[in-house]
Amino acid sequence: MFGKGLITGMSVTIKHFFGEKQTLCYPEEKLPMTEYFRGGHLQLNVKKCIGCQLCALSCPNKALTLKVTTDENKKKHMAEYIHNLGRCMMCDLCVERCPAKALSWDKKYERAYFFKDYMIYDAVEEYVPEPVEDTPKPEPAAAAAPKPAPAAAPAAETKGGDQA
Amino acid sequence: MLKTETYTLNMGPQHPSTHGVLRVELELDGESIVKVKPIIGYLHRGIEKLMESRTYIQCVPYTDRLDYVSSMNNNFGFCHAVEELAQIEVPRRAEYIRVMMAELNRIASHLVFMGTLSIDLGASTGHLYAFRDREDVLDLFDLVCGARMTFHYIRIGGVIRDLPAGFIEKAKAFIDKLPERMAEYDELLTGNEIFVRRLKGRSVMTKEMVLSHNMTGPNVRASGIPFDIRRVDGYSIYPELEFKVITGREGDNWDRYRVRFEEILESAKIVRQCIEGLPEGPVMAKLPAVFKPPKGEIYSRTEGTRGELGFYIVSDGTPKPYRVHIRRPSFVNMQGLNDMCAGYYIGDSVAAFSTIDPLMGEVDC
Repeated sequence: MFGKGLITGMSVTIKHFFGEKQTLCYPEEKLPMTEYFRGGHLQLNVKKCIGCQLCALSCPNKALTLKVTTDENKKKHMAEYIHNLGRCMMCDLCVERCPAKALSWDKKYERAYFFKDYMIYDAVEEYVPEPVEDTPKPEPAAAAAPKPAPAAAPAAETKGGDQA
Repeated sequence: MLKTETYTLNMGPQHPSTHGVLRVELELDGESIVKVKPIIGYLHRGIEKLMESRTYIQCVPYTDRLDYVSSMNNNFGFCHAVEELAQIEVPRRAEYIRVMMAELNRIASHLVFMGTLSIDLGASTGHLYAFRDREDVLDLFDLVCGARMTFHYIRIGGVIRDLPAGFIEKAKAFIDKLPERMAEYDELLTGNEIFVRRLKGRSVMTKEMVLSHNMTGPNVRASGIPFDIRRVDGYSIYPELEFKVITGREGDNWDRYRVRFEEILESAKIVRQCIEGLPEGPVMAKLPAVFKPPKGEIYSRTEGTRGELGFYIVSDGTPKPYRVHIRRPSFVNMQGLNDMCAGYYIGDSVAAFSTIDPLMGEVDC
């Protein structure tokens, strides 16, 4: 009978009309991002960063422009970490290459801009130091803070040597 | 005296049925098509040239952008070529994961084919259903690599990270519910009289025509030639897996639809075998810090979702490839468009574009 297929097809849609909901009211409800989600701004942990610039070297599209300064102890510091989102492919190569694991994505995926200039930002400026819990135990927190720095310093030398 | 002449009609580049920015010049005699000329190049980004100035490892994210609905297969193809060139042995677990991902992506890509085919024929419901199921595959990929479109998961020497916890269960759940979902498409589309009449006996490609245009993938299998590189070359772990090479008979639009439909179920079987046989071990081969393949050249082909995806790489011993040429299946399959449309009506040309399943990112490269 002609039209039988149409009716069976419609019965499928009617079943789903009363079935489980597949969609999400987007701006009100949001899906959580997964653990390895790549997107949003790059978060640079300035304390951990050893200034080796391997992230900029591994970038296929030259999205990163870095400026490194050396202080009196010959320790490298990231002065500027300009990330151009317009050039970025979110390929994750910079984050994977980082020997100090100082880079991560902030996973804020709502990045739509009116102007190209807004896509360029400085990750060093955006860096928020981890809040030091001062009230319960001030001394261990203060003692723990400088600890990573000496551990990172020899790593900086060796990695720098490798690269050279 | 009555004089008739053909006239030219432009379809695209913004026409909704052209699968991206493709312009097609139709030469018409009344309503029937005399000649079809696809005009390409609107999405050309020069990926082959870009690769010459990137290191091999940096090239991999660019392959994501070739055929952007089956990025895993492109990653796989490129990495496979480089590994053959540099003779890297990939750990077995990585091979299993790669094949699993490639087949999951094949499912997703064929679902997109079914969705776009049904929307091109005016059935917008089918489109939404297909994309609903594709979403499940994308969620799986999101878990392993953190992206839903440009995955960049398969790397030279293996895969970037092991499967996260809970992935196997979710993949199994998806595979288990797939036959049920496919039965739903059978009810929704396959039995639909309008759908059948739009596809059956239209745009017939005989074996000779298909071979003369060097078409590959589901398009060639629909004409009855069992050419599947997974079977012919037997790369990676495919020789150890059981799967059927689906073929059609007539080579019409209907067969091209059915071949892809059945292939989804076959891919699901392969994924299940991969999950069951997944060995333990590392997922990445050890690569030197500066990866330099030896001097030489290689042509390596894998079965992409749309056909033979080949990478021709010339290496001059530096960290960057001297030349990369990509044999894109969509581009080659597009050559058959004229034969598929000539002699049929304008409405059939829309179905023909759809069943070739071209993807402009890959055609223009």
